[in-house]
Amino acid sequence: MNYSWLSDPFYQEYLWTGFVNTLWLVAVSATAGLALAVLTALARLRGPRPIAWLASAYVTVIRGTPLLVQLFFFYYGVGRLMEGVPGLRESWFWPIVREPFFFGALTFTLSVGAYSGEIFRGAMQSVPAGELEAGRAFGLSPWQILYRLWLPRAFQIGLPSLTGEMILLLKSVPLVSTIAVMDLLQAANIVRDETFLVYEPLLLITGIYLAIVILLTLVMRTVERSFPGVRATQGRWLPMRRL
Amino acid sequence: MTATNPTTDAAHQKIAITVDHLVKCFAEIEVLQDVSLAVPEGTVTSIIGSSGSGKSTLLRCLNLLERPDSGEVCIAGERFQFGNGQRIAHSDLERLRSRVTMVFQQFNLWPHLSALGNVIEAPRHVKRLGRRQARQLGEHYLEKVGMIDKRDTYPVALSGGQQQRVAIARALAMEPEILLFDEPTSALDPELVSEVLSVIRDLADEGRTMLLVTHEMHFAREVSDQVVYLDTGRIEVAGTPESVFNDPRCQKFASPTA
Ligand SMILES: Nc1ncnc2c1ncn2[C@@H]1O[C@H](COP(=O)(O)OP(=O)(O)OP(=O)(O)O)[C@@H](O)[C@H]1O
Ligand SMILES: [Mg+2]
Repeated sequence: MNYSWLSDPFYQEYLWTGFVNTLWLVAVSATAGLALAVLTALARLRGPRPIAWLASAYVTVIRGTPLLVQLFFFYYGVGRLMEGVPGLRESWFWPIVREPFFFGALTFTLSVGAYSGEIFRGAMQSVPAGELEAGRAFGLSPWQILYRLWLPRAFQIGLPSLTGEMILLLKSVPLVSTIAVMDLLQAANIVRDETFLVYEPLLLITGIYLAIVILLTLVMRTVERSFPGVRATQGRWLPMRRL
Repeated sequence: MTATNPTTDAAHQKIAITVDHLVKCFAEIEVLQDVSLAVPEGTVTSIIGSSGSGKSTLLRCLNLLERPDSGEVCIAGERFQFGNGQRIAHSDLERLRSRVTMVFQQFNLWPHLSALGNVIEAPRHVKRLGRRQARQLGEHYLEKVGMIDKRDTYPVALSGGQQQRVAIARALAMEPEILLFDEPTSALDPELVSEVLSVIRDLADEGRTMLLVTHEMHFAREVSDQVVYLDTGRIEVAGTPESVFNDPRCQKFASPTA
């Protein structure tokens, strides 16, 4: 094993940028994606028929096509189309919107929105109807029932599955190396191309991914445990004290 | 316990609830068929009847968890007429539900809130009381049902009887004019029934207006001023506990336990 290249500031810089970009992509897509997931679940459960239908079509398309194809579709297809839109090139957000990073974040956000939207829909449906009815019986408005009772409970129930989705998201990120985003894999590829070392850089980023996943799991588990009241384990409710 | 006869006292007493020719259908089936009922202020009315006779539905029509198909309900000073296609404004519902609160068979506590959190949720967010005021109120009513020691405990860590007492405190904390109980002890283990019944008995002794669906015949007989026997969506017999439990029409239903 030859890791002498690690002392080269150029490679350090690449790896660091790749690490930061990977985390950024996860953070941005997870945040925007989860917001989209809540909206998707709501649209499917309570939306007027056309909106519910639209949400369901969105979920079907995103879940029914390969992520890499979606990434290419947005980067090469939509990206090229956008160049032709008059005025767009002069607008202030053009520098953001022409970056491959943007297309990666867009693709992953849509993906998280669809997959987690389904998880969230299931979680919302498994909140016992009586709890929401009690909200109605005490005069809470539909909006209050949603954000004070329904959504917190759905998060609580869906959290373990959502953790899984976040891990899948992290592991999808290397796909962006195909559209020239400097992520961890891209950094490793550069090291390989320049030093002709194949395994060493791959092994290094594998370790980094693993470390992030372990950290993420620990954080999410803490969040699950610190959720007030109960913790869901495979659909069963266990009191905190028995854990 | 004042076992007053509503027929003789009706002239002096204000009426808290009147139900007039109420009809409720679920998919063509008339679950309530022309139900009429009066509940004087400060009295306890028990609703008895076999499973599926429409007891819960009647109760749920009173706080409009179910929307009746026709008839009229006057409750806590509000008059609602049904069957004319009129929409009921959210503000009316909110006012009604602050004045008429409910205790459920399955407790229906909110698991992500502590006992105190459950009790002050509606006072905080429906009545919009301040945090401090709501907390005082909540602690007062938890004290009343003997649950003040568990104020920071979450529902999963409470027994059924304790959960139901918290649910009663939740219903009291809105300081309602009328309390509705839908089989409050049916989901409880036998040894937990009495702690809940004793809380309800105290409330009856305070002269609160209460409507109670129950299968506890002894208890109904003991606390009620009026008993209503519901059979397949119709009020078959109504009157004082003695008269109803001795009526041949509900003998077959009530006699084995009464
Ligand atoms: N949401 C609903 N949709 C359709 N039918 C319903 C609904 N709720 C109640 N019913 C029907 O209405 C009838 C009366 O139900 P209700 O719950 O009022 O009975 P109940 O007297 O409270 O019975 P129990 O003692 O078992 O609680 C039943 O036949 C029931 O199947
Ligand atoms: Mg019932």
